[in-house]
Amino acid sequence: MKRYSLMVLCVMVLLLGAAPLVCAERGVTDTEIRIGQWGPQTGPAALWGAVARGTGCYFDMINDEGGIHGRKITYYLRDDGYMPPRTKAIAKELLEDKQVFAFASGVGTAPGMAVKKYLETNKVPWVGPATGSSHWGYPPTRYLFADYPLYIDEAAILVNYAVKTMGKKRIAFFYQNDDYGKEGLAGAEYALEKLGMKLVAAVSAEPLDTDLSSHCMKLKAAEPDVVIMWVLPKHGAIILGTAAKLGFKPQWMTTSTLSDTDIMYKITKGLFKDVIYTSFGELIDSPHPLMLKYKKAQEKFAAQDRWGIFFYAGFLFAEPMVEAIKKAGRNLTAETFVDAMETLKDFQGIGPKLTYGPGQRQGARSSFLAKVTEGGKPVKVMDWMESDVDLKAVLKKLGRL
Amino acid sequence: MFLQLLLSGIAFGSLYALIALAMVIIYKTSEVPNFGQGEMAMLSTFVAFMLLDTYGHSFFVSFLGALVFAALLGVFLEFVFLRRAKDPNILSLILITLGFEMILYGVASWKWGADQRDLSFPVSDFDLVNIGPAVISYLNLATLLVALVLMVLLFLFFRYTKVGIAMKATQQNPMAARINGIRVNRILSVTWAMSSTIGAMAGMLLAPVATLDPNLMLEPLLKGFASAVLGGMTTLVGAALGGYMLGIIENLFGGYVSLEFKSIVAFGIIVLVLCFRPSGLFAKHYVRKV
Repeated sequence: MKRYSLMVLCVMVLLLGAAPLVCAERGVTDTEIRIGQWGPQTGPAALWGAVARGTGCYFDMINDEGGIHGRKITYYLRDDGYMPPRTKAIAKELLEDKQVFAFASGVGTAPGMAVKKYLETNKVPWVGPATGSSHWGYPPTRYLFADYPLYIDEAAILVNYAVKTMGKKRIAFFYQNDDYGKEGLAGAEYALEKLGMKLVAAVSAEPLDTDLSSHCMKLKAAEPDVVIMWVLPKHGAIILGTAAKLGFKPQWMTTSTLSDTDIMYKITKGLFKDVIYTSFGELIDSPHPLMLKYKKAQEKFAAQDRWGIFFYAGFLFAEPMVEAIKKAGRNLTAETFVDAMETLKDFQGIGPKLTYGPGQRQGARSSFLAKVTEGGKPVKVMDWMESDVDLKAVLKKLGRL
Repeated sequence: MFLQLLLSGIAFGSLYALIALAMVIIYKTSEVPNFGQGEMAMLSTFVAFMLLDTYGHSFFVSFLGALVFAALLGVFLEFVFLRRAKDPNILSLILITLGFEMILYGVASWKWGADQRDLSFPVSDFDLVNIGPAVISYLNLATLLVALVLMVLLFLFFRYTKVGIAMKATQQNPMAARINGIRVNRILSVTWAMSSTIGAMAGMLLAPVATLDPNLMLEPLLKGFASAVLGGMTTLVGAALGGYMLGIIENLFGGYVSLEFKSIVAFGIIVLVLCFRPSGLFAKHYVRKV
């Protein structure tokens, strides 16, 4: 009997000892919170890889201010080269080996889609995938929060501006033949239908195309007064060049993906002037107090990086995450974090207003419009505007519901 | 519309023709299609960009500098990698060129990143010549001119110069060529240098239109290769004509049939040609006897 009670005692002591291990939250200790991100630092999409470095700079700034509730953020940035198989390996490594608490942002729809299910099954909070795809918020999942305006909404806002404010009548659409382009197309078609109009032409390009002459001629033949393009920066430059050559001068409009006006102006040799685009965040020279603060952080922690939209987007996409970590308090777990995220209502940093709630995972539904002026400097032409798109209808049309 | 499609086709066709020429030169001497060609050209174009933009040299100096770099790069790759291959068969040499492709791509991404760049070119793509209802830009004309001149020069080179004839001999029978006093290795180096230089020209003519980034030549290389297969991998004139044909076919197809399938026309052509005329449209078909 005595031996029995000794054994029971031993087991109990062992269990007690092990208890903190079992309960301790992955990636959260008394002094640190581990957060990971993938992002293309090499390869075709590396232009957008600045997002991941921006988030790093943001966390450096927060740590420098003393961290959150006594904890500092340890940040793991990995290069996936925009290749989904590599993204998978990274998610696994950071989760199982580095034991991260959550993932911030992450560029690319395809890389993100490759790990979406894996992260959800393992109950890993993930905030702010850096693409406007509708896949993040629809259908909603518990641990994934989107804060990039939807391409569908962006396109609808552009169409409304073109028709209602500018009085344009003939709108054409030039898009990349994939999810990215097609969601933009669906948004534009929806908005036009509501106005009782139709696109005069919809022309698609493949990501690898270099010669866009016949695309441009098709667009020109439809005689549009506005062309909205949903393509890669490179294709944006080629189509503007080809159009200029053919004497085709519509009002060009485009998405936030092409909002690095500095680069776009340079590579189009100035043809990017007068282009109107949707922006997900404050303009580069905005006097917004947060922008000034972030700019200082960039000068201090990432002086080698260019202060461009995609760099400070790394701050923008992670803002709600930091806010929710603050709100969750000392007792930070995946569950308390999600609960805190769900309390965010009209939260706004340098991006759109964000609202989450139970079953609501697409936080951003607004964008503002800017126009490119001489030298590539953008100016705001319309303030933040909420989209009135009935997403259910559009998703149904896309075959998603 | 037809005329414009035709002209645009010819304009892009000249680029394909240049790339096809570069590929054929190497193929003619070693029977290896060089898949690193595109990245070699891309890297040389970046060198031109660096000389021009970072170091502020004149265009002429940068252009020449890039051509010299391209030649040296060609010699370097041939000397350091291909020549070291033990018991090389064609397949392993092709794999080595694929290796170059990846290494050079990596180097460019690392050195210059993936930001799109603008290579300022003295010939404008926006100054136009009107031909009836259609237009063609000075840059397109320059590309056309460069391609035609090179084609003629290369033709003369292979027909009338000793080095050119030595190159042909090397391709037909390296052993016999060596016995006849041709320094086969040196010939190979020269071929790589020439090919790389021509590729670099194509890169520099393409960059002002398509913007410069590490992906500059991914698609054009495939199209150049398709052109070479179409025209014939062993004939310079044929390969170049293949380039023009491909450019025109693609544009007409895009204009009148389907834009969605425009980019796969080239690959359809490869398959068809390989099925019906494996040596290409303009090459004499010969069967090697054992």
